Amino acid sequence: MTLISKFLSSGAVGALVLATGVGAAAQSLEIATDASPVGLDPHVATAFSTILVNGPIYEGLTGIAADLSVIPVLAEDWSVSDDGLTLTFDLRDGVTFHDGSAMTAEDVIGSIERVLDPETGSPYASRIAAIGGLEAPDDDTVVMTLTQPSAALLSQLAYVRIVPSDLAEDVDLQRQPVGTGPFAFAEWVPDTYIGLTAFDGYWEDGLPLVEGIRFNIVPEASTRQVGLSTGTYHMLPNVDSATALTLQGTPGVALLETADLAYSLIGMNVSEPPFDDPAMRRAVNTAIDRDQLVQAVYFGQGQPGGPLSPSLENWALPVSDFDCYSGGAEAAQAILAEAGYAEPVAFTIKALGTVQTVVDAAQVVQAQLNAAGFDVTLEVQEQGTFVQDWRNSNFQAFASLNGGNPDPDGYLYRTFRTGGSTNVFLYSNEEVDALLDEGQAETDMDARYDIYADLQRMLACEGPIAHLAYGTLYTAVSDTVTGYEMVGDRSTSYLRQTGLE
Amino acid sequence: MSALASVSRLGARLGLNARTLRRQPMVWVGGGLMLVQVLLALGAPVLAPYDPLAQDILARLQGPSGAHWLGTDQFGRDVLSRIIYGYRSSLAIAASAVAIALVIGGFLGVIAAVKGGWIDRIVMRLMDILFAFPIILLAIGIIAILGPGPVTTSVAIGVVYIPIFARLLRGPTLVIAASEYVAGARAIGAGTSRIIVSHILPNLISVILVQASLSLSTAILVEASLSFLGIGTQPPDPSLGRMLAEARGYLLLSPWDSIFSGAAILLVSFGFNLFGDGLRDALDPRLRGSD
Amino acid sequence: MARYLAIRLSDLAIVLFGVSVIAFLMIRLIPGDAVEIMLGANAEVTDEQIALLRTRLGLDEPAISQYFAWIGDLFRGDLGTSLWTGVPVTQEIGGRIWVTLELSLLALLLSVVLAVPAGCAMAYFRSSAADYVIRVITIAGVTVPNFWLGALLIFLFFALFPSFPSVGWVDFSVDPLGNLARLLLPTIALAVPVLATLSRIARSAMLDSLGQDYIRTARSKGVSERAVVFKHALRNALIPFVTALGISAGYLFGGAIVVEQVFALPGLGRLMIGAIAERNYPLVQASILLVTATFVFINFLIDLAYAALDPRISLR
Repeated sequence: MTLISKFLSSGAVGALVLATGVGAAAQSLEIATDASPVGLDPHVATAFSTILVNGPIYEGLTGIAADLSVIPVLAEDWSVSDDGLTLTFDLRDGVTFHDGSAMTAEDVIGSIERVLDPETGSPYASRIAAIGGLEAPDDDTVVMTLTQPSAALLSQLAYVRIVPSDLAEDVDLQRQPVGTGPFAFAEWVPDTYIGLTAFDGYWEDGLPLVEGIRFNIVPEASTRQVGLSTGTYHMLPNVDSATALTLQGTPGVALLETADLAYSLIGMNVSEPPFDDPAMRRAVNTAIDRDQLVQAVYFGQGQPGGPLSPSLENWALPVSDFDCYSGGAEAAQAILAEAGYAEPVAFTIKALGTVQTVVDAAQVVQAQLNAAGFDVTLEVQEQGTFVQDWRNSNFQAFASLNGGNPDPDGYLYRTFRTGGSTNVFLYSNEEVDALLDEGQAETDMDARYDIYADLQRMLACEGPIAHLAYGTLYTAVSDTVTGYEMVGDRSTSYLRQTGLE
Repeated sequence: MSALASVSRLGARLGLNARTLRRQPMVWVGGGLMLVQVLLALGAPVLAPYDPLAQDILARLQGPSGAHWLGTDQFGRDVLSRIIYGYRSSLAIAASAVAIALVIGGFLGVIAAVKGGWIDRIVMRLMDILFAFPIILLAIGIIAILGPGPVTTSVAIGVVYIPIFARLLRGPTLVIAASEYVAGARAIGAGTSRIIVSHILPNLISVILVQASLSLSTAILVEASLSFLGIGTQPPDPSLGRMLAEARGYLLLSPWDSIFSGAAILLVSFGFNLFGDGLRDALDPRLRGSD
Repeated sequence: MARYLAIRLSDLAIVLFGVSVIAFLMIRLIPGDAVEIMLGANAEVTDEQIALLRTRLGLDEPAISQYFAWIGDLFRGDLGTSLWTGVPVTQEIGGRIWVTLELSLLALLLSVVLAVPAGCAMAYFRSSAADYVIRVITIAGVTVPNFWLGALLIFLFFALFPSFPSVGWVDFSVDPLGNLARLLLPTIALAVPVLATLSRIARSAMLDSLGQDYIRTARSKGVSERAVVFKHALRNALIPFVTALGISAGYLFGGAIVVEQVFALPGLGRLMIGAIAERNYPLVQASILLVTATFVFINFLIDLAYAALDPRISLR
């Protein structure tokens, strides 16, 4: 028998199991995720993979809690003037950055200005565009003057992470995050892992509970699942229903869930045929059977949705309000026939290949549309190609997953306003524009509700996006993990209170 | 001319006869496997029990059963039907890739050998450059540039295989071109192209046949690897690699789809390789079982 | 010999130049760049903002000047810095190459240890049932998709030994046993095709060797069969076999790209796939150049060895 085959015999394997079966450092939280972040600057990089890692590193003035309510974080308290144009934030005492400097009003103003500065290129700039002036009467107070009242601003400020205003020249936030969060950046081994260590100077006593966090980049789903089951990893954050179903009932594994604010969608380019015709967009919406799609893609764990996530309970209309959401293939064919389309309408859907649920949804939609008299071709693209085509409106239709926003204005304005920053569909509708402008300035809740209800009805069937479904988002954890809660916007801020038994 | 007659003439040219072939069971087994799978691919519309794209969500991720002999995938599509259609796209991609490589690479190799001198040097250095890249890496790059799809996948695999054929054919061509027999043809005034067509190519057929079937075998694996890495053919078309790539996310939930589509890749690649390997032995007297 | 060496060296330079051009162009011809990947889909930015971000990463220079800047730095030993981590590319690659080397060497070791006896057996029992059985097995080995094999191994081990650490990575210096345990399955997945290829080469080398006159002479002189096979034939068969090892370097790396992906190993293959996906130009260029140059150089050495052994080659 050769040496190798001796080694392979079960005895040696058994010994190795005993020697290495348990994770080495019990007090470090091992997280496995599929994609490596590309840049960590919290004001610039907005991919899901960056948001995941930055969750425990950075904090904003406000935060979004698990129930999507706005909670104080770095601002202990705030007040809004009667006219809604002045916000005064009372900053938390004793907050320090990972580089040891104390956080002051100057840092808050510096961070907001950095986001607003066109030179930064921050995608968050448009979300806080209502801010007109910033002042610091003292080190612990920030006064914001708004150009118009903004009901959404408080929740949007949660996404403006506070960074030191006097960063050393050689510190590049893309590579070396410096925040106030419970964990400080330690090392980054590309496509392997990102390591964080507990921050001694964290403002809340007793937190964080673990010594460090490691975000392991593990591209294969089954490898992540096996890794969690064997105890190599403690947590698989923000996974889809298929993974959850696989891990269900695995000894030692628990599943957390929340409604995902992110939604799968089919985007349509309204500047060219076939989707320049509203009837065509209505036909697509009608042909899609969203209940079936939820079954197929989300294993039943999700819900059909319109322009706003059903988890925004105060805003979202029930899908029964959208007449195009029922009908199916025959009704869609009738719409096409009435609009004068005799031949099957051919078009290509470009699908974002890095998200499995998107590829799955695209396949289901393709099958449904082809049954309703369309001739759909799929093109699955990798991220770089997809983003470039998306940005240049170089598509007839695309399938993607968009991150959601806890405020309706935060999503609808940039997406559907003429010239909106993510209106790559080149959609332009005067009525919609007027309502969007109105909704942004309106602070009366009832009036605001009516405006967004009208908008949802107008956009659901003939808008440039066929909203498909909002999935249930899962986090699979080893049952030794305590204290973690999920947030529908995929933030991992609750890692601050996560422990290991 | 009947097909049988042309096959036996080809056989005679290759120095094969029934007796040598009978001693090569691998040629028969491999050839049989190849034939069965090619026939499955050609007859897919008739042979597949289901529409390979028809989804049936309620019957998803099932193991083998009477209704679905090889089970169903994550959309409830019939795995057997998808494998049968998968042979079609995988074989089409592999065959066109090898054809591209054979025609371009073969042409370059033969020309380099016959012309010699600086043409030889330039061509062969170009081949060295292409050959220096790991196959998968170069194919990834080409597909990323051209965009995914069956055609670009064939082109990418074809391009990375060009140096294999160029190098392979250059050697024997050098030997043949230097032979007295070709010198004789030249002496009676035969032109270069005539020499290539009537004297060199016929003598290369055996080498080409062997390498083509071995390359088909590996091209299928390359296509599968590319699909595994998320590029290659596009859904919902069932190429074997694509099927395996989609199934592997559900490996722990229902391993059947992964097992069967992987086994199908193994089987088709195996058939071509067995055939090529056996053929090589049959054609190479040195490797034949000596008496 | 000197003239031959000169020609071969100039060829080597030409090939390396060509490789550098392709490595440089390939990554730039792929649609989408680092800035777009960083922002992800659905980011709210204007074209001006994008242009600014590009300038900051040095992506706005014309390609030609980028190429010459790169080559110029290369000759000064500077391969550039990774776009995302700011770490010198050499350091980035240096940290990863050992994983791939360890994996490849283990796989090579496993292959050689099994391939030599398998090849000898096939050659010795040529055309017998044993020959066919082993050949069919080795052909199956060549044609098994190694990522499929890897995934099935993970699955199988998970089912049989639920606590076996089949995924993840521990450095050898931290935990040698844990390191080897985690490399067990990847090594098998990577080794099987190489093992199969090598045993076929061993077989034909042995056949060649057994057919030589001196073997007949030895046999006729009454040398024991054992000595004939192991002392004479095997020793001669080793020469072509060892040169074949050089070629398997290419196989091993190609396979490692996929196997590292399956087992989440932090090797060079994953570094490259990730760098391509993230359009990390300096890293892609440098690592492709490194891998191809290594391969070209190994083959150059093999050619030289051949030339040294066979004087006819240098006359060609």
